[in-house]
Amino acid sequence: MARWQFALVIAAGLAVGAGSAVVYMHQGMAPAGGGWMGSKVTGSVDADAWTRARVAVSGLLALNRGQALYFVRKTDEAGRPLRENCRYRVAGGALPGRWWSVTVYAPDNFLPRNDDGALSFDATRVHPDAAGQWQAVAASHPVPGAVWVSTRRAGQFDLTLRIYNPTPAAQADFTTIALPSVTRIACDGGQGA
Amino acid sequence: MSRAVWLGVCFCAAAAVGHVGTVIAAPHVIMHVAMARLSQPDRLINAFSFSPRVDAHARWVVRPSPDLAYASCVYDLSHGAILVSAAPSADHGYASISVFAANTDNIAVFDTFAQPQGVRFALALAGQAVPTGVPGVRATTARGIIPDRRLAPTAAAFAAADRARSADRCAPI
Repeated sequence: MARWQFALVIAAGLAVGAGSAVVYMHQGMAPAGGGWMGSKVTGSVDADAWTRARVAVSGLLALNRGQALYFVRKTDEAGRPLRENCRYRVAGGALPGRWWSVTVYAPDNFLPRNDDGALSFDATRVHPDAAGQWQAVAASHPVPGAVWVSTRRAGQFDLTLRIYNPTPAAQADFTTIALPSVTRIACDGGQGA
Repeated sequence: MSRAVWLGVCFCAAAAVGHVGTVIAAPHVIMHVAMARLSQPDRLINAFSFSPRVDAHARWVVRPSPDLAYASCVYDLSHGAILVSAAPSADHGYASISVFAANTDNIAVFDTFAQPQGVRFALALAGQAVPTGVPGVRATTARGIIPDRRLAPTAAAFAAADRARSADRCAPI
C-alpha cells in the first residue's frame, strides 16, 4: 500500500471523527420532561468527557446542580422549532428554587442582537394568579399587558430556564419539577397554533 | 487481511481517535480561550475584572444571563495559593462565587445565602500552604476561572451589585 493512501485514509478518519465530535457537542442534553432538556452533571466533577465537551460549547462556566439547574428547550408543546416570526405563551407555576429566570438565546448560543431590553423575564417580573400560575409572551414585538421577552433577531431560538438554589428534591429528580409550557399562539403569515 | 479491510480498519481507528481526542481537548481549548479573554489576555491574573451589565452585545462567554452582574478572576496557582473574598450584596440578594478548573469542572461554589456575611477562602494546589483559620479549596489544575454572579435584573439592582462586588478580592497570599 502506498504511503499516501495510508496517510489519506488516516487523515479522512481523523476528520470524520473530529467532525462527529463537533456535531455531538452541539446537540442538546438529556430530556428533562415537557420538551425541556437538562443535565444533572453540568459543571460537576462527575461529568464525563462527553458532557464536559457539550457544556464547554453551550454552557461554559455553568454551575453545578447544587447551585443552579439549567433547562433548555428548542421546541414548542407540539414539537415545532421555536421561531422568531411566531408568538409563544410561556406559562407555569411555582418553581422549586429561590429565584428563576427564562432567557432567549439565538442559535450561536449568545443573546439575540436586539436592543429591546427584554431578553429575559424572571421570578420578580411575572404576576402569579391566586393559584400561583403565571404567563409571559415570547415574541418579536411587545404584547400590551403581557410580560414580554423579545425574540427579535433571534432566528430559530431556544429558551433557557435557570433555577437558582434549587430544592434537594428538584436536584435529585427533574420529573418533580413542573417545568413551564411553551405554546405557539400564532405566526406571521397566518400559521396559528 | 485484504488491503480494503486493512484500510477500513485504519479509517475506523483514526475516526475513533479523532472523535475522542476532540471531545477531550475541546473543554481545555475553550477554557483556554475564555481565560485569555477574561484576563485581557494574561494581563489580569489573580485579580477580579468586572463585566458591564449584560446586553445583547455581550460576547465574552456563551449564554450570559441578562439578570446577573458578573465579575471574574482568572487564577494561576503556579507561584502559590491565592485568597478569594467577596462581600454580600447590600440587598442580600443572590451572590455566588464559584471555582472552575481548566477542564470546566466546577470544583467549589459558595453563596451568600449559606454565608450571609460574605465568602472567604484560600485556593491552593495540593501541597501548597493555606493560612490557618481560612477555609481551603484544593484546585485540580493550576489555572482556571472564578466567576462572581450577583442577582441584578434591573439597572438599580445592577448598580447595587456593582458597588458590592467592588470589594471582591482575588490575590496571592
